[in-house]
Parts: sequence; C-alpha cells; structure tokens
Amino acid sequence: MLIFSASDKGGTGRSVTSANLAYHRAMAGDDVCYLDFDFGSPTAAAVFDVADARQATEDHGLHAYLTGEVSEPARIDVWAETEHQVLRFPPPGCGRLVLMPGDVSGGEFATGDDHLRRCVDLLMNLHHEFDLVVVDLSAGRSYAVDMALEATAQPEMRDVTARWLVFHRWTRQHVAAAAGLVFGKRGILAGGVERGHGEEALRNAIRFVRAAVPDPESPLWSQVSPTQSAWMRKTDGDLKQLASTHGIGYSQVLGSVPLEPVLQWREQLITDEDVLDSQVANQETWQALSRLAARLTDDKHWEQA
Amino acid sequence: MTAVRGRGARTVLACGEVRTCLLPSLQALDARAAAQLLRLRADVPVRISERPVLHALSPEVLTGVDCRLPTADGSRVRGVGTVTARAALTEGRLLQATACFSLPAAGPDTRRPWGQYLVRPGLVEPFGKLPRQATAAGVLRGAGRGELDLGMISEGLLAQVRRHPLLDRRVPFKSGPTRLRWVAWRTPAGERAALVNFTVAEGGLRTVELRLPEDVPASAAAGLCEDLALHDWLLTTVQHLLDNSRLGAADGPSAVGALYPVVVHLLHLWMPRAHVDPALGHLWDALEDRPGFSRQWENLSRRIRDRLALQAVAVPHQALGTR
Repeated sequence: MLIFSASDKGGTGRSVTSANLAYHRAMAGDDVCYLDFDFGSPTAAAVFDVADARQATEDHGLHAYLTGEVSEPARIDVWAETEHQVLRFPPPGCGRLVLMPGDVSGGEFATGDDHLRRCVDLLMNLHHEFDLVVVDLSAGRSYAVDMALEATAQPEMRDVTARWLVFHRWTRQHVAAAAGLVFGKRGILAGGVERGHGEEALRNAIRFVRAAVPDPESPLWSQVSPTQSAWMRKTDGDLKQLASTHGIGYSQVLGSVPLEPVLQWREQLITDEDVLDSQVANQETWQALSRLAARLTDDKHWEQA
Repeated sequence: MTAVRGRGARTVLACGEVRTCLLPSLQALDARAAAQLLRLRADVPVRISERPVLHALSPEVLTGVDCRLPTADGSRVRGVGTVTARAALTEGRLLQATACFSLPAAGPDTRRPWGQYLVRPGLVEPFGKLPRQATAAGVLRGAGRGELDLGMISEGLLAQVRRHPLLDRRVPFKSGPTRLRWVAWRTPAGERAALVNFTVAEGGLRTVELRLPEDVPASAAAGLCEDLALHDWLLTTVQHLLDNSRLGAADGPSAVGALYPVVVHLLHLWMPRAHVDPALGHLWDALEDRPGFSRQWENLSRRIRDRLALQAVAVPHQALGTR
C-alpha cells in the first residue's frame, strides 16, 4: 500500500507524524519504506537520526534518481544506521524500515515524461517489495503532489492501493487551508480528476489528520484561568464547526495527534522508551500515533463517508 | 581490423553485475511467453531450455561506453568500448539482468572509430595501462558518479523488461531485489577455474571473485554468477519470510497466508548448476561445502513444510473445539 502525506502549509507536523507512523508500522512487523519527496527541505534524516548515513548518500537521493542521474535512489537502513539509542535495538519480529532520502541540493523541478516513468517504476518496485510505502510530499500544491497524482493515475498503477493523508494544525487558518488543498479549484481532487482519477474513488482515498491538537481537558492547561479555559473550549467547538462546514469534519478525519511538548521542541520519533521509561513524552501521543498507524490499512476507516 | 583483433585479444579481467528479482506477474510465464518477453533483438532468437528447469536467456544487447573506469584508489583511467547486457528468466518466475565487460591489460592512448569497438562486443579498452587491482576493487565497491556503472546498465535492462505489456505488474508476494557484483581474474588456459570469494553484504549486495582460465568465455562466468545470484536470492527471500517471528502469532500474519506463495512459486526453483558451463560447474562444490547453500535450502523448506503441517493438524482441532 502507498501512503502519500500532504499538507497545505509547512510546520503542520506532516513529516514528523508520517515518520512516526512508518516507525509504528515497522515495529508492528511490516516492511516499511519512507520516501522523502519533500524536495527543498528534506527533514526525514533528522527525524530518524541518520545524519551521517545521509551525508554519505549526498548526491544520489531521490532527486538524482528522478532526474536520471543515478539508476536507483540511495537507501538507508534505519535500524542499522541510526544514531538513536533506542532505534538501534529494534525488538525481534519487527519489519524493515528503509529511508530513501531526498537530496539536500535538489529543489523542486518540473515533471516530464521521463520523471514520471521513473517515478512509476520506483513506486511499483517498492510496492512489490514493501508492505507499506510512505511518501512525504512537499507542502502545498507542489510538483511532488502533481507527480504523485500523475503517477498513481497511470494504468499500471490501477491495482495499487494509494491513500492520502492531509495534515493540518488545529487553527482556523490551517483548517481552511487544508480544505482548500483538497477541495479547492486547483486542489488535489480537481488535479487528480484532470489526470484521470475517478473523483469518487480519489475522494474516498483522502483522509485528514489533525496534528498538534491542544486538548482543553489536558493537564497541560490545568493552571489556566477560568476565562482562558472557557475561551479554549469555545474555540475548540468553533473549530469543529468550521471543519465540518469545510467538509473535513469527523467522518473525514483519520485521527488526531495531541499537542506533544517533545515534538514542539524537536522533530523526532516517539519511542516507547520516551513514554514509559524517561516519560518525556505523553502516553496519549504514543496511543494516538499507534491508533493512526493501525487505521492506515484498516478499510473500515476508508469506507465511503 | 585484423590488427585490432590480433592486438589486445587477451583480456586480464572480466567484471559484471547481476540483478535478481521476482517477475512482476501473478502467473509464472510459460516458454512461449518467456521468449516473447526476452526478445530484446529482432535478429537473434531467445534461447530456451526446458530441462531441468525452464530457463530463457535473451540475446545480448550492447551499450557503448566512454567514461572513467571505477577504481578503488581514485586513479582516473578512461575506458572506451561496449558493455553487453542480457536478461534471463527462470521457471517464468525469477527475472535477472546481467551487464558485463572484459578488459585487456592495456589499450591505445587515443580513441579509435566506433566501428572498431563494435566488432569486439563486451570489450572495454583502457587508455594506457589498466590498474588491475584498483579496477577490480572499484567494480566490487560500485561505481561513483561519472564512472562506468554496471548497476545502471543492468537496472536499466531490468526496468525495460518489467515494463513489458505482457506483464500485469502484480506480484504474488512481497520480496526485495538483490544485486551481485563479480570480477573474474584471467588465468592461463588449461588451469582450473576457482571461486576465490563470495561475500554477503548489507542491502542485498553480494560480491564474487573468480579465477577464470582464458579459454572459458566471460559469458560462462556471467552464467555462473546468474546461477549463484538466483539461489542466493531464494535463500535470502525465504529466510526473510521465516524471520518474521510473529508469523502465525495471534496478532501477526497467518502462517499459511505468508508461506503459501513460497510453496507455490519458489520451492521447486532450487536447481543449482542447471545452466552453468561444465567448465565452471565444480565451483558450486565450494559453496555446497561451506556455507552449504543446499543444506540451508533443505533446512528452510523443511521448516516451511513442518510449519504448514502443524497448522493443518491444528485446524481440525479448532473446528472440533468450536462445535
């Protein structure tokens, strides 16, 4: 299965959440490949703590592959290459976790026929090799998004299940922007239909993920004044209303990830060690990520809303 | 032209790279379809042999090269000539692509007209003297940017075959590709060929070093390495499936579901030496001795059969229990 991660704006927690989902699935026994299609600002190497391995693959990442400079993009085996103390000792029974980094120097580029063919070949080959392929796309209606839409519209990819996650933060601006990215005049849906996707099918393959959602009931806010507390509850309610009028209400949401202090400070994987031993991360975050990871392949959550 | 043939006909090194993967097709191809798939050239037929396993070998295609040779010590040696590439399909299931070339000890310092290179397919001539050790090590390590990249040529051929309209581009189970890089040191005619080294590295990379008498063609070495790569792929793939220790656990994938494709598609493919040149057949003995390829395979297949047998025993029990 292919999972495309998109967002309208940067800073929505798209990359870090996607990486955490990949990590959860690999821990659960799936062979997972994570593609950093966030051309221009690749962050995955930092999240997986593989900076050194990343250096070694400097000029033969995904960008060099798509432009035809190398025959295959570099792969980083996260378990083997990571400098993260916990990740280095994955539990028995977990699957492979492979990162295909983008290139630091590679910016966005126009998609041509050759790029498209190579992109389709890559996605097909990875689909034949891995249980789950997570593709992190640059923010906005980027070339990366266009290429993903174009590639998945090709006849040979018809039988490959591709699902889309659209990440947004829990604010008015972000909610409106995420809705615009999908349903807007130049949105993913319109762009997909233009390239030969069925509207109904594509719409059913898109779900929203609310990231860094502050929970008014959380102990984080136990010290706030009653006025502040009331305001937060009201705003949260208004946002829910707003989301549903924009067509991204409850039924379109695959899950939300609570505001996690650790992720506010640093893009990283939340491991069970962070939650259970050192307790720097919240149990709720771990659970939310775990739930979300399970729902990626659970058809019940992808049925027609 | 006779001068060309006469001079430099002796090669000192042959190198190649084999890529092995599962054919992206739900059904295994029969001989006729295999021939259609591997028809890379209209003028040369596909070689098919049906005993003891169905094996189809494409005609060779040439790629002209003029670039730096891969060298481990950074010495810059330009090479000009042609690289041959071919694809093979075993039992209509496993697809392989090989790119290889041979090198003479030295070549002229100037580039000659293309026609003169084309009459010697599979030969790449160095400008000046060939740094033998460094080139062999460079090939095994893999080419850098701008260097002669065998992986790129074999991967390109593999990609071309995988895009063939005959294939439905679906796979019966998930598996990764492997690549095997090899170098063969030429030894005087009449000596016995030998396997110097076989290593298994990370990321699906294997390397092989051979000693190959001059009277044995490089294509025979390519055939041997395809055979090694194929059986190594089988071991790697089945081992990976069995390594999933949660197989059959309550929250893991069902053992039958995961192992069924191995039984249907892979177990019968084990046939070492089936299409290896007789002059090189004995090289398998070394691998059978240690690490013991066939022993490992027997062990793996036994584990799979036992696993499925246990499952079969358990099913009627459960059925009785739920009544």
